[in-house]
Amino acid sequence: MAEETAPKARLNDPQVLLSILDNLPTSIFVKDEDLNFVYSNAAHCKMIGRSEEELLGHSDKDFWPEEAARQFLERDWSVIDTGEENISEEFVPGDRGEPRPLLTRKARLAGPDGRIYLIGTNTDVTEIKHREDQYKALTETVPVGVLQLEEDGTVAFANPLLNAYCGGDGAAESKFDLINQIKERHPEFPGTACRFETEISAIGMPRRTVIVISSGWLWIGGQQRSAIISFVDISEMMELRRINDEVSRLNIELAENMKRLKEAQDELVKKGRMEQLGQLTATVAHELRNPLGSVRTSAFLVERKLKGKGLDVDVQIDRINKGVIRCDNIITQLLDFSRTRQLNCQPGDLDQWLMQVLDEEAKKLPSAVTINCDLGLQDENIPFDPARLHRAIVNLLSNACEALVGQGDDQSKFVRPDPVITLSTSRRDGGAVITVADNGPGIPPEVLARIREPLFTTKSFGTGLGVPAIENIAIQHGGRLDISSVLGQGAVFTLWLPLVTPRREDGEAA
Amino acid sequence: MSRKLNILVVDDDAANADSLAELFAMDDHRVIVAYDGEQAIEAFSLNKVDVGFFDVMMPKKNGVDSFMQIKSKFPDARVYFMTGYSADDLVDKAVKGGALGVFSKPVDLGRLLETVEREAV
Repeated sequence: MAEETAPKARLNDPQVLLSILDNLPTSIFVKDEDLNFVYSNAAHCKMIGRSEEELLGHSDKDFWPEEAARQFLERDWSVIDTGEENISEEFVPGDRGEPRPLLTRKARLAGPDGRIYLIGTNTDVTEIKHREDQYKALTETVPVGVLQLEEDGTVAFANPLLNAYCGGDGAAESKFDLINQIKERHPEFPGTACRFETEISAIGMPRRTVIVISSGWLWIGGQQRSAIISFVDISEMMELRRINDEVSRLNIELAENMKRLKEAQDELVKKGRMEQLGQLTATVAHELRNPLGSVRTSAFLVERKLKGKGLDVDVQIDRINKGVIRCDNIITQLLDFSRTRQLNCQPGDLDQWLMQVLDEEAKKLPSAVTINCDLGLQDENIPFDPARLHRAIVNLLSNACEALVGQGDDQSKFVRPDPVITLSTSRRDGGAVITVADNGPGIPPEVLARIREPLFTTKSFGTGLGVPAIENIAIQHGGRLDISSVLGQGAVFTLWLPLVTPRREDGEAA
Repeated sequence: MSRKLNILVVDDDAANADSLAELFAMDDHRVIVAYDGEQAIEAFSLNKVDVGFFDVMMPKKNGVDSFMQIKSKFPDARVYFMTGYSADDLVDKAVKGGALGVFSKPVDLGRLLETVEREAV
């Protein structure tokens, strides 16, 4: 009785064994030395569509088309002759006539009866093939070049995009070239997992910038180590980046050009306005100084005529004279500021000239102010316009004096008991520097920020043209005016003049 | 004791010219007044002028041009200029042409009288 038999012993019953074989989903067959079927399990019968009785004693050529049968038998003979197992993919017509992929394994078996047999199995790999097709379709659609490389360097798989990168012919050599190109720059590739950006090129193909991602060696299918390598083409991105950089650069250039244009335009407008202002000022100066002259002369005459007459008019005469001086100073400042005439620069000993100016001007400045000199140009010849620079120096000195002692007539208004102005010269940055420093109250930052603006003034009687005039004179010399100040310590006005004569706009030396 | 001079004052601004004339006259100099460049030339032709004080910008003929004309006829003419603003190019021309000095208007009268004193020595 079956129930009483030990589990392993049950298989000694051929009926049990055959029943098991018939119930396996794998097709199993056995052929004799003449390649006629001597066994076929149910799955094999079903696959061929014949009963066991129809199959046994017959060979493939009795059931399959001639060409298919020939291929089957060829492999069969090879196995019988060599004894080497054969694994191959075969196709048989499916239920609806479609090719059905089978993975067929065949081996030679020496039977206990001393005969040679061929045993084989067929596994339906339709599903696996389907999956594989899906994967292939996937690799065809992704925008990534995919290459599978065996450890011996042979190409196991390349998707169409990767073939396109290699020149589109799909030849293995072109892929070796590609790998070798990359290896030259990245010797570790493709053996280790890595990721880098590089350039690749193939004959007749545009150079590309790609990101290469290599998996390193992996066991795939339990048989051979492979590396999966992906290539992401970033050439377009690089081109976009380049275009973007170029656009950015052009934008900056454009902005700079616009700025220069605007500055040139402003300069032209300013120059036009300054020329107009210069003409207007010259006319006004002429028209006002004539009556000022007659006022001064008349006051002088009145003073002389009344002398010794016992009429005390000194104060009134003094007021008239001071009024004339003030008006004249305003006119001078307007002229200083608006003068656009080209400079008449002559190379000269600036230190010596400054000493003369100082000798002249010191007499006019309040005696309470000490003026120190530290001239260090050492006879260097500096090109300058004496008349214009004279105005700048006078302005600088009188500004410093005013900051220190006001009008100089009221000691209670002195900022400090020891007011000092230091006039110094030196060489710096390829030019001559004239510095007028005072130890006055200094300039508050909000005033310093606006001090170069024409008409800006903090004095109750001031045109606000003094500093702009000094700066204009510096600029006309091709130099500049720097102003610095520490509150409570004083202010430093620095005129920098170049050692070369400024060029005129028409190209001639000024 | 300084000598008395024949002084020519040239200015189209009559108030200026007249007040200066009065100033010089006060020191007993003989003063001739001209109100434009043409008159200045005429004055030099008709009078022995020791020293002239010329305005620069004037109608008809400016002070510098009339001075140049006078100078060509009277090379020893002694002339100073008075200018309302440094009409730079003209003044440069005058100085190069032999003008003795330039006064800025409003003229510093102390300097002016010192100059006259020197001329009178």
